[in-house]
Amino acid sequence: MLFFILDLLTLGAINAIMAVGLNLQYGQAGILNFTYYTFIAIGAYIAAVTTLGKPTLTGGVYQYILQWRLPWPLALLLAGVVAALLGLVVVLVVIRRLRSDYLAIVTVSIGFIIWNVITNYIPLFNGSNGLFSVPYILNGATVSTTQYTVEVMVVSLVVLAGCIWVARAIFRSPYGRVLRAIREDDVVAASFGKSTTASRVWVFVIGCFMGGLAGAMLVFYISAWNPAGFLPQESFILMAAIVIGGPGNYWGAVLGTFVFIEFLSEIERYLPNVGNGAVVGAGRAILIGIFLIAVVRYRPEGLIPERWLRWYKVKGPQPGEPPGGEPLTPGGGSGRRRFLGWATSRVKG
Amino acid sequence: MLEVDDIEFAYGGSKAVDGCSFVVADGQVTGLIGPNGAGKSTLLEIIAGGLAPSRGRLVFNGVEIQGMSRAQVAQQGIIRTFQTTRELTRLPVLENVVFAAPNQIGENVLASLFWRRRWASQEAQLRARAEELLAWVGLTRLREEPAGTLSGGQRRLLEIARALMAEPKLLLLDEPSAGVYPAVRHLIAQRIREVVGRGITVLVVAHNMAFLSEVADDVVVMAEGRVLRRGPLEEVRADQAVVAAYLGGGHVGGTS
Amino acid sequence: MNLFAEAVGFGLVTAAVIALAAVGLSLQVSVTNFVNFAYGDFMTFGAYVAYAANAAGLNFFPAVLVGAAGTGLLGVGANLIVFRPLMRRKSRTLVLLICTVGLSFIVQNVIVLIWGTNSVHYTVTIGNALHIGPFLFTPGDLILIGVAFGLLALLHLFLQYTRFGTALRATSNNSDLAQACGIDTGRVINWTWAISGIFCAVAGVGLALETNTLRPALGFNELFVVFGAIILGGIGRIYGAMLGALIIGILTEVSGMFADPAYKGAIAFAVVVLVLLIRPQGLLPSRGRSA
Repeated sequence: MLFFILDLLTLGAINAIMAVGLNLQYGQAGILNFTYYTFIAIGAYIAAVTTLGKPTLTGGVYQYILQWRLPWPLALLLAGVVAALLGLVVVLVVIRRLRSDYLAIVTVSIGFIIWNVITNYIPLFNGSNGLFSVPYILNGATVSTTQYTVEVMVVSLVVLAGCIWVARAIFRSPYGRVLRAIREDDVVAASFGKSTTASRVWVFVIGCFMGGLAGAMLVFYISAWNPAGFLPQESFILMAAIVIGGPGNYWGAVLGTFVFIEFLSEIERYLPNVGNGAVVGAGRAILIGIFLIAVVRYRPEGLIPERWLRWYKVKGPQPGEPPGGEPLTPGGGSGRRRFLGWATSRVKG
Repeated sequence: MLEVDDIEFAYGGSKAVDGCSFVVADGQVTGLIGPNGAGKSTLLEIIAGGLAPSRGRLVFNGVEIQGMSRAQVAQQGIIRTFQTTRELTRLPVLENVVFAAPNQIGENVLASLFWRRRWASQEAQLRARAEELLAWVGLTRLREEPAGTLSGGQRRLLEIARALMAEPKLLLLDEPSAGVYPAVRHLIAQRIREVVGRGITVLVVAHNMAFLSEVADDVVVMAEGRVLRRGPLEEVRADQAVVAAYLGGGHVGGTS
Repeated sequence: MNLFAEAVGFGLVTAAVIALAAVGLSLQVSVTNFVNFAYGDFMTFGAYVAYAANAAGLNFFPAVLVGAAGTGLLGVGANLIVFRPLMRRKSRTLVLLICTVGLSFIVQNVIVLIWGTNSVHYTVTIGNALHIGPFLFTPGDLILIGVAFGLLALLHLFLQYTRFGTALRATSNNSDLAQACGIDTGRVINWTWAISGIFCAVAGVGLALETNTLRPALGFNELFVVFGAIILGGIGRIYGAMLGALIIGILTEVSGMFADPAYKGAIAFAVVVLVLLIRPQGLLPSRGRSA
């Protein structure tokens, strides 16, 4: 039971990193990246091939590039950097036409190409057999599974904290405001001299960097990775989790991924065996689909809506009373937006 | 000063703007009028950088701006409002205005993450200025409301406040009083006159004669994609050719 | 030269299937203004319904008709239940896209629940390959190409020469204006989904025959290729989709001559990306529409 909880928390932390990264791209900047999982996968692969060293399998094929043996923090960083670079390439390809459905199609298709190449070009990452026996981080080889889980969880939480710090700093800054403006109406943003292209490229790249970090943590935890782990559906599911949780708000994204992916996948283990595994998986996917359509139809802002007003009133030197003698209202408008009561009052946008 | 020199633009086969030339003098309000289909909004869009002309030059304070992107045009100091208001609907009114300020240090990614102290004080100043502007157009009470909840007239005022936040040298106003009732129209006209008093040049597209007579120093009449007449409003209104152009496709005067 | 001609021939068959699918999707996108990410699963659905009819005793061709009707109904149902309420509310495109993703999950997994994950087949024989000129075709290939050509020609005639076709084109161009002119855009949209569903189902069956497998992920995997065709031709442009399908179909097969056939899809799409960089609006000349 303890292990179940620890496992849940660790995977939850890692999923939360993904959520924050994707939320930067979609929630804050409105960029519909339908292949986020590709960047997670690249991060995982890079982390693996920079820590595996030379292949030790005798007999049979086991190929991959780099074959370095770096200390894991360096591998983690590299994973993020490579994912970010790939993100840079991708965003430059699509930057001239960022209309949402166009972008969705193109990103999904780029993800497919990459998946296709990785699966078929064996020397890259060992094709469909994938990589395994990725070395443990810290002192993982010598401790129990439970303790290793705790160690990975702690590291993941540290990484997550860093990512949330970045997301929050962006959200509360003029840069975040430009992103929101571009998200709402990019013609208006351009009409006031904002550099829409540069802003979007940066946020996309940072989001991909976080995805790479998440992928690395994931491969450090499960010690293996292959193409079956990043089929296009995974990106869809991640996107769905964010939309349900509340795209405008990174806490919403975290909640969405946690509840959604985590809970549903773990709870399967404790469900009675109805038919075969495929049936349960199919059932889960159908539920996700229905839930997604329902949320989007009845509550498009998600479970936790965007709360950008908060920081506006709290941070920095106050401009003083506005002329006319009206006091700064502590949210005459925002009172109307108290959807979840205690949850949102604690949530700082 | 803005010089429009022989600008031409075609939508598919037909020429919306066909050899249009005139000069917008500094420090005054120039009205741009004409019957429907004359090419006024298209011309405005070309000046603002949304469309590239097929021929002709646009010179603003000595710089050739035809073919520049919207952002580049805005950075030259030319700021516009839109025919149907384009406020950022889900963002609060105050944020709509603060967003428009140019040269914000914090808009750079790295600055936003690492040099908070640098932009925090600029941010406070910008917010103070935005509050002033909102008070000037009478929208202070609504500063926290999402811009999408405003009425039509309030949105027009918001667009003007936002445009001024951008510290423009030239303001392009696209029918700023369309669809508002007379009291608000008068307020908008007053505010525009005050703006000119501060040295900003204004080019305004409008149909309502009452509004124009309050606001415009000089009027350019466009018809069929080119300039027909130019002069004070009263003169131009009485001109035979202008009347003919309107009767052909519209009506001079009235409250459209 | 022979090999090249044969590759082109295979390319034509591939192109026929992609063209049907791409045109169906393009039709729907041009009228409703959002892309249906469940389209691949609609294709699979059509193929499976045809299979069910076939397995229940119907001959192959009537079974395909049943599949087409079934998918048409699915499309209309999806529109009425899911999309129309959202479109009425003028929801953002993003919202509609996410909905189609949800729909994709549902359709694909309902198929799994009903028919399982194993591969199934139709009770029809393809026949042997014959040499026709420089090309190498089976009778099945020829029928497929013929059907595709026929359906596309029918669609062209329908769009250009019937009143409803004109109404459809009007709605796709500017639906508010069309409504103001008295066109019942709701009906147009429903019929668009139905027609799109028919094309989609036939494409699904064609695909199942071509790859000789029918499993739940069939259409979904093909989705990317269809997207490629649409991007090449310009999103929402029906004739562009036909052109894009032709190019991609032939490209995939010909590239198989020079590179490992496993990369066919990737190569074709890499070309699409290249075209995107040079000409983001697609290959066809742009229409004179204001931005």
